Amino acid sequence: MKGVIVTGTGAVRIGRHYEKSVRALAAEAAWKALDEAGVDGVDFVVVASSLSYLQEPQLSLASYITSSLGLGGARAIGVESGETSGLAALDVAYSLLQSEKASRVLVVGVDKLTNHPSGPTYSMLQLLHDAEAEAYYKIGHAGVAALLFRLYLDRYNVERATTAYWPALMHAHAKENPHAMLRFAITPEKVVSGMPLADPITLLDAYPLGDGAAAVVLEREDEHPKNPLARVVAVESAIGMPGPQLRDDPLDLESVRTVIQRIGGTDGVDVMEIHDSFTIYALLELEAMGLAEKGKSAELVAEGYFSKDGEGPLANPSGGLKARGHPIGATDVYKIVELANILAGTWSGVRRGGEKRALALSINAAGSEARAALLEAL
Amino acid sequence: MNGVGAGSLPRWWRNRIPRYRLVGAKCKVCGRIHYPPREACPYCGSRDLEIVPLPRRGKLLSYTHVFSVPGDNRLSTPIILGLVDLGSAKVIAELTDVLPEELPNVKEVEAVVRKVEEQGGNGVIGYAIKFRPVLQATPGGQG
Ligand SMILES: [Zn+2]
Repeated sequence: MKGVIVTGTGAVRIGRHYEKSVRALAAEAAWKALDEAGVDGVDFVVVASSLSYLQEPQLSLASYITSSLGLGGARAIGVESGETSGLAALDVAYSLLQSEKASRVLVVGVDKLTNHPSGPTYSMLQLLHDAEAEAYYKIGHAGVAALLFRLYLDRYNVERATTAYWPALMHAHAKENPHAMLRFAITPEKVVSGMPLADPITLLDAYPLGDGAAAVVLEREDEHPKNPLARVVAVESAIGMPGPQLRDDPLDLESVRTVIQRIGGTDGVDVMEIHDSFTIYALLELEAMGLAEKGKSAELVAEGYFSKDGEGPLANPSGGLKARGHPIGATDVYKIVELANILAGTWSGVRRGGEKRALALSINAAGSEARAALLEAL
Repeated sequence: MNGVGAGSLPRWWRNRIPRYRLVGAKCKVCGRIHYPPREACPYCGSRDLEIVPLPRRGKLLSYTHVFSVPGDNRLSTPIILGLVDLGSAKVIAELTDVLPEELPNVKEVEAVVRKVEEQGGNGVIGYAIKFRPVLQATPGGQG
């Protein structure tokens, strides 16, 4: 097995970049990553994007982005796997390097969510769900998560207020993250009293609609890269039932259980970036990962178990999808940028210090697919 | 860009039977039923499926009012969604004929065919199954 090293990282602060196209955002992140790695060319560019095909709109995006980056000599591959597109792109890059088909690969994740008003954008986002099943109805981006959230609160008798500590923690972390969209603190009380998006989900339980791009350069360890930051140890994936109504227990994220098993468990993980598009998914993931008992994750979060001074792995030092932001196909690449810098000791945001092992986890929709990557310090 | 399904006449047409009649697919290998019918059984992968009618009444497991409604038409805000357990299969669908204050007490729902889409370039008016509260109270039951 060839070692695969992250050698360059770049990220654009997530926000409403009305003045910047998908290509401009991608260039900002990619050029920063290439500069950091100290290289000016790559063998492959793998572009992760999901909504660009509807928002911008542009097909065959990877080739257009690669040529606009000035990397016309490179080969280009586009990857669309919904909210897990970024880790799918990492999987492709990792395989190219391990198979020695490439020595150096640039992964760029980019998406815009603000080219249209929110109503049309919700129409696009609902297509992350199964368009032949639940997304036949106007479920929007939050409808299915809301059904699961109410089921969870009812079944486990969890107080709504207890779950609100997750978004509050995310905002506390995002305040310290230079590329986070929402860099301000909120109280758990404000989450509960927020504007309803799809009850019991309020605006403050949900990711903001923002544009972003993030990029990483990956190189083979045996080629002695100039700027080694962290090692990619494993990249895995699993698909689950297409919709939660097909699961025996709609609250069981079976794709997360499978991907965590495939990647070798969470033992030794010091820091992780998990997928909290909506508060309920963070809670269900923590339980599916075996880090909390069923119905108990909100309490652990509220007690500070996953916080900077807690005993569990540090959760989402970036501020998560909730507060760093969630430009769909780009999000997983942000996670790799953040975790690689934490492991390299070059992260200016929240961290404990001395982190050795990091996990990135993402799901699409309500768990129709799940992906994970393990990184370790050099 | 309007709601999902808008504009495509062939798509509405090919979905008309499961959408109007509430039929699922039963796997002849593992015996499990799913909705709407898929190409293969999502539980065991078998391609040996038969179309079966689903029960038209079920239990309401969860619900939500979606205010972040897709599309440009805000007149229909909010959309009420439910997770319904029909016994042999679970379904996510719209709820209808119910007031917000009634919802917490709704336990049983039944299927009706209603309009879900009235837009799109081809003037498609789409119908599908929705669920409404079971109207008549069961004598001696809890309503
Ligand atoms: Zn089967």
